[in-house]
Amino acid sequence: MKLQDIDVAVIGAGPAGMAAAIRAREAGAENVIIMERAEELGGLLHQCVHNGFGLLYFNEDLTGPEYGNRFIEKVMDTGVKPLLETMVVKLTEDRQIGAVNAKEGFITFRPKSVVLAMGCRERSRGALNIPGSRPSGVLTAGTAQRFVNVEGFLPGKRIVILGSGDIGMIMARRLTLEGAKVEAVVEILPYIGGLIRNEVQCLHDFDIPLYLQHTVTQIHGEERVTAVTIAKVDADRNPVPGTQRKIQCDSLLLSAGLIPENELSLMAGIRLDPVTGGAVVDETRQTNIAGVFAGGNVLHVHDLVDNVSWESELAGESAAKFAMERDLGEKGTINLKAGTNIRYIVPQTISGQRDTTLYMRVNEPQENVRIKIGDIMTKTVRAVKPSEMIKIELSSEKLQKVNKETKEIIVSCEKRGGK
Amino acid sequence: MAKKETFICIGCPLGCEVTLTIDEKGKILGFAGNKCKEGEKYVFEEYTNPVRILTATVLTQNSAQPLLAVRTSKPILKTMLAQGAAVLARTKVKPPVRVGDIIVPNLLDTGVDVVASANLSS
Repeated sequence: MKLQDIDVAVIGAGPAGMAAAIRAREAGAENVIIMERAEELGGLLHQCVHNGFGLLYFNEDLTGPEYGNRFIEKVMDTGVKPLLETMVVKLTEDRQIGAVNAKEGFITFRPKSVVLAMGCRERSRGALNIPGSRPSGVLTAGTAQRFVNVEGFLPGKRIVILGSGDIGMIMARRLTLEGAKVEAVVEILPYIGGLIRNEVQCLHDFDIPLYLQHTVTQIHGEERVTAVTIAKVDADRNPVPGTQRKIQCDSLLLSAGLIPENELSLMAGIRLDPVTGGAVVDETRQTNIAGVFAGGNVLHVHDLVDNVSWESELAGESAAKFAMERDLGEKGTINLKAGTNIRYIVPQTISGQRDTTLYMRVNEPQENVRIKIGDIMTKTVRAVKPSEMIKIELSSEKLQKVNKETKEIIVSCEKRGGK
Repeated sequence: MAKKETFICIGCPLGCEVTLTIDEKGKILGFAGNKCKEGEKYVFEEYTNPVRILTATVLTQNSAQPLLAVRTSKPILKTMLAQGAAVLARTKVKPPVRVGDIIVPNLLDTGVDVVASANLSS
């Protein structure tokens, strides 16, 4: 395969990139490459040795490596060409890709379409502004996960975890089973940041204390972490004086949010959504640059890999179609606007001509609600939480109700009343 | 004397706190706090037979990869998780291993095998 002939170039070989590349091939694109800076396909799935993957996609309870393996085999079977240990360092507004690897040096080419599948990274100590000294022993939950599950090192013996994201809770269980003592999981919000099943199966199962509405106010230790101070926070998330308490520990793990990795997108002039941190896309997952698509955690942070795969398949299919036909038909001209208790909606724009799945998150937990997509449809939901993504299928049939002149549809989540 | 035990249902984002009332013989007398039937089903399982899949890693020999990811092929009692992890901490494997290969047969007489979650090459 010559670089000049590439139909679809996928950037990133995690679950999103693999799904996009496979589907692009299946949809008829001849030359599909997947560019990955690591030495193997699969991305973060290799270090996610816990189960809970594929419950929706495969109807099976798989571990991360098993889930990844199924896609890796399919990448090979469908004839996608992986370009490993190759880091994309440049993307321009006319779809020029520049990449480096040890064999060829700097390579540059212009594929017919591009799928962004760079995933996300963790919020680090610097981004959290935790006061105190700079000892070793402060690391993100994902780094700890790599140490424990891939490299074979225990990062510490007495651990405090800041943030109750899924990786943090999963690491609390993992570290406990590997012989460490997890002293506390500390969450600034009044509710956990991850899924309920992880609160039950990772924290409750092992009697790990969870401190809601608390944060770490100081890290102690010179060479190595010796303790952290935690404190209760008020409604504005400020520490309440007099509630400080010191917890002896040798490590602090951070599980306080994920940030889509969009440096390349910004370089290319792709418009980002300030709320998701990912590109603004229409229902084909096309960005504002023709022929550049995005899917998975680079677009918005998902809680389930199954949705990452589905969304990226859509991006891959659109990329294949664009590569072959140079046109995807109707563009997204209707803006979906977040109304009451909706934090964001992906896609941000729709054409109104195709079946569409809307992914959204709420701002606050709420029970017994009605989600309204303008006056097109409403869906009753028993409970919503910021940590659990909501998926709503919007059929093109329902969308026929939309007036041709419509420029904006407001999506809102309202309490069901009068019953 | 009847006693009470609480569970958090993981069936949906609601996360109902369900209180189970049990008589002295351990018989279930009633459920409270669940907002749907699924909650009862979940709590019944969690009370009578709380099981989990155990996932872990085992050390490797003769491989560039220091660890191999493993799992139990089926869920085991959650009270067995720590013991199971202790067995796996002493287990070593050599390549080649394919996903699904049995690493520890019949873990702790549970009748459940520990299998490889990933491939291992030399």
